[in-house]
Amino acid sequence: MSEAELLLVNETKHCTLYTIQFLSENDSEFEQFYNKFKDDVEFNPDLMRIVGFIGKIADFGALERYFRPEGKMNDRVVALPVVQSKLRLYCLRLSDKILILGNGGVKNTKTYEESRELSGYVLTLQNFDKLIKEGVKNGTIIVTENKIETDNTFDL
Amino acid sequence: MKTMNTSFQQMLAEVPPCIQQEVDLELAISNRIYDLMTERGLSKMEFAQALGKRPCEVTKWLSGQHNFTIRTLSLLSAFFGESLVHV
Repeated sequence: MSEAELLLVNETKHCTLYTIQFLSENDSEFEQFYNKFKDDVEFNPDLMRIVGFIGKIADFGALERYFRPEGKMNDRVVALPVVQSKLRLYCLRLSDKILILGNGGVKNTKTYEESRELSGYVLTLQNFDKLIKEGVKNGTIIVTENKIETDNTFDL
Repeated sequence: MKTMNTSFQQMLAEVPPCIQQEVDLELAISNRIYDLMTERGLSKMEFAQALGKRPCEVTKWLSGQHNFTIRTLSLLSAFFGESLVHV
């Protein structure tokens, strides 16, 4: 198990973006994803499309139709992009106004479950989702219309 | 709450203008299609059926990330009776 905390990425009236930071790591999950592909000749254009699209989410909200459903029926894990690309960014979509950006990678298998790397990123978000639900239940986390209020660290 | 080390605005500034233009256009067209579809009271399934397309095709159109061809834009413009793109 590793300790992690929630970091603010960007906030507008339409959507607040967060990411997860493992305390043992230098970079957050989303920064790791970004840094992995920013200098990659093959995947940089797809990364830029994803970043540009997340920028637009700030204007329109994290609407359900903008995401590819991933994970299981009972979690809130989604992925970008919806269209054809081997690059996947996994996120936790709590609502139109709250999105947690995770890590991601190149999907070379038919399903994410077949990739140890990708299933690890999805599992992190699934576990985080469970902890948020528990925290909301026991009152240590408050989820408002567009914010997550917590000073918790999470054991993931 | 702490913020991410790298500024998101800094990341956004790295997006080349041509890619940002592509993202903006794809999203604007997608949102317009969604508005027209809902204004007409059509579900995704009904919309797909009316156009002879599979629902997964409509899912792509509404995702805000689809690279529309002129052929698809023409089909949709004819269906809605208004141009989706103005030149």
